[in-house]
Amino acid sequence: MISKKTIKSAFESMMFVWGEPLDVKVAADVFNIDWKEAYDYFKELQEEYESEGRGIRIREIDKSFQFCTYIENDEYIQRLCTPVKEKRLTQSALEVLAIIAYKQPVTKGEIESIRGIKCDRVIEGLLKKNLIEEVGRGTGIGRPILYGTTKLFLEKFGFRDIKELPDIEDITNIVEEAEETDTEQISLEI
Amino acid sequence: MVYKVKLDVFEGPFDLLVYLIENAEMSIYDIQISEITKQYMDYIEDMQKRDIVLAGEFMILAATLIEIKSKMLLPRNRPEDLEGEIEDPRSELVEKLIEYKQYKNIAEYLKMQEEINSRIYVKPKEDLSVYTREPDEFINLDLIQFIKAFDIFLRRRKRIEEVKNNYTRIKRQEMSMETKIEQLKRFLTGRRRIKFRDLLVGVKSEYNVILTFVSLLELIRLKSVRVEQKTNFGEISIIVNDDIDTQQVEGA
Repeated sequence: MISKKTIKSAFESMMFVWGEPLDVKVAADVFNIDWKEAYDYFKELQEEYESEGRGIRIREIDKSFQFCTYIENDEYIQRLCTPVKEKRLTQSALEVLAIIAYKQPVTKGEIESIRGIKCDRVIEGLLKKNLIEEVGRGTGIGRPILYGTTKLFLEKFGFRDIKELPDIEDITNIVEEAEETDTEQISLEI
Repeated sequence: MVYKVKLDVFEGPFDLLVYLIENAEMSIYDIQISEITKQYMDYIEDMQKRDIVLAGEFMILAATLIEIKSKMLLPRNRPEDLEGEIEDPRSELVEKLIEYKQYKNIAEYLKMQEEINSRIYVKPKEDLSVYTREPDEFINLDLIQFIKAFDIFLRRRKRIEEVKNNYTRIKRQEMSMETKIEQLKRFLTGRRRIKFRDLLVGVKSEYNVILTFVSLLELIRLKSVRVEQKTNFGEISIIVNDDIDTQQVEGA
């Protein structure tokens, strides 16, 4: 019987080597333990890193775990080196992504009717960036392609899973609150 | 002092309309259609003057606005309508705008999330092939060497092609089956039993081996000879019939 301590320590090493989010199922299979047990160990590890205030944290993405830096350390990382900043998404790309995230699986036609404008190129761009993917075909005329978000979307936008997206009704408050804190900060500086 | 803010690029007609409504501090539920239509048309005209190609969708919304405007002008208090609820001609547009605004907000939210998340760094997945038992093999060549090798290959191919274009290989005329059969007949006349192997003495080319075999098959068909083969891939014995020299080759 392998001890819990050994398994947890092994998971830590595996995450280190893997770099990308490590699927709980894959990790569980290594020790032939059940999924829930492995998941709990990852969660314990995550809490340990957090309570000890480590500079490396563990984040959960779609039933996988990954090492990442502590968010508040970004300033120091940037003093050390200048990590390549990825180009931000355009306003139109964000709008299309928003519609797909909340209405998935969704057809191009539905997206276009909400935005009131053609979205072919934007969708193409998002597909290329691997933030959305084809998830099937609709039952309507011409069996249109259905789109959904990918695991990379969760990773890039910091969601544990798609259910973690806030309710549409709450969004307005979240956005407004964020804007308020922004103005507060500005006024403090003045 | 008046500040005039003009954004040249809108994500679509709804984006422009929402901007105009908010800028005029109107309630989205109570759009003053004639005012907004005027502003919207002004904007489109302005864009066209500046030679900016507007998507057709902007025109569609312009038409919709004008349609709503004209419906609003029609008297609505006809007696038969008093009973039921009178539908506001704006309601469909309002619904669409509200839905659009919702997703615009989500887009804003996603932008925030993207911003926050960009402060977290992760390691990319490393090349794990060094850890596996059979690492991928790479040819130890630098790019220059590789280019040279490829260039030589291309040139050689070109040379060969040039030669091929100017010359044709002429083939020696091969013996025909009819001639071979005649030859075999002469050879077999007067013999009783012979091994197939003996027919191939001195025969070198693949073509000739096949020709001999096919000719033999023809002789079997003509009942000039019989053959026996005891085992698979074993020796073929040929038993010659007496009347071999009297039979004619068909189709010769």
